[in-house]
Amino acid sequence: MFRPTTPAELAEAVELAFDYRGDVTLVLTSGEPIVGYLFNREAAGPKPLLQVFPESGGMREVAYTEVASIAFSGEDTASGNSWEAWVTKKESERKAEAQRAETDARARGHL
Amino acid sequence: MAVPVSQMYTVAKYVLTQQLKGVKRYPLVLMLEPLFRCNLACAGCGKIQYPDHVLDKHLTPEQCWAAADECGAPIVSIPGGEPLIHPGMAEIVRGLAERKKYIYVCTNAILLERKLDEYTPSKYLTFSIHMDGLRDEHDLAVCRDGVYDVALKAIREALKRGHRVTTNTTLFDDASPERVRKFFDEMMELGVEGMMISPGYSYQKAPDQKNFLKRNKTRELFAKILGNRKRGWRFNQSPLFLEFLMGRRDYQCTPWGNPTYNVFGWQKPCYLLQEGYANTFKELMDATEWDRYGTGRNEKCADCMVHCGYEASAVADTFGSWSGFGRTVKVTLSPNAR
Repeated sequence: MFRPTTPAELAEAVELAFDYRGDVTLVLTSGEPIVGYLFNREAAGPKPLLQVFPESGGMREVAYTEVASIAFSGEDTASGNSWEAWVTKKESERKAEAQRAETDARARGHL
Repeated sequence: MAVPVSQMYTVAKYVLTQQLKGVKRYPLVLMLEPLFRCNLACAGCGKIQYPDHVLDKHLTPEQCWAAADECGAPIVSIPGGEPLIHPGMAEIVRGLAERKKYIYVCTNAILLERKLDEYTPSKYLTFSIHMDGLRDEHDLAVCRDGVYDVALKAIREALKRGHRVTTNTTLFDDASPERVRKFFDEMMELGVEGMMISPGYSYQKAPDQKNFLKRNKTRELFAKILGNRKRGWRFNQSPLFLEFLMGRRDYQCTPWGNPTYNVFGWQKPCYLLQEGYANTFKELMDATEWDRYGTGRNEKCADCMVHCGYEASAVADTFGSWSGFGRTVKVTLSPNAR
């Protein structure tokens, strides 16, 4: 968990959160936690803002000055899934993984 | 003829009008991403790595139509995610066709055959089927066996019903020119209207970061694939863009050529880079520092030769001067002439 102590540290933490492909947990200076996907930020200008899609729905805009801490709490959805790993996997593992993805898509009615 | 005359006329009229008006930057193709959810999980794709609650978000038909109106581009390409998962896709397409937009629904075709009843054949609608090569290469690229055959069956059915069908192919550094040429033969035999090809882009967030083409290798590969081109091959893209891929012409990127709108807003600066989002198309065009992007200007753009940045440059070349137009006619009529 990052607890930025300066505006520069805060800006850096927000950039890292913007680049992260998973949910983050923001705790505001009011004590309110927001768990969600930080999809945009506007660091320039007189009142820097960030935009989050909370896990619970809707969209929140939060001023940088309201952020007390940022934690990378959700799974990074891009990690541990390389092409190289896919190619070098045993046929049986590859089939099992493909089957899992297929089952998930089928459960959602997408196949 | 790979692109119908009415579509060529619309694009030519649009581009010439922009140029006569002195508009410096204008969009050519709106990249509309109504959802990120996909029913495949290809290792080379950097578009679907989001938490579930983000993947569950959809643009509404009204949001899609408003984006098309706001942008004004004559062509709307609908990638994703897999667009046919969107419950309102047929309605979105109808609304865009009413606006006389030429629409490319970019699909892996897994759901296509089942959904075809929802779509009426139209000159405005093209199903652009994701095909990354022959059976072995395609199924490997999409990380699922059997998808090639499903797509082939869907293409046949769509063609039978009178739909416009093209293919879109992304090539990575393991592509075999001979196999790709054989793939072109197979797609032409199938009867698709035309093919679209592009090198892959190394998405910052894609799981696969090792198999993307570097610029010189891209030129070498495409020169081998497209050199000594067979007369029967038809490509649904600018002939000068193909020349660019082969290293016969050089262009600077036109990052505003294919603006992208999705559940986050208007993506800055382009379809491939995600440096933030604008609330309106005007804000995207006015507030983006365009000179920061393109080969030689930004390390993220160093190796990119992707259609979404360079096809608009090729089209601008065609309509920018009589010599550009002449070049286009020449390579269209004699693609193998030097």
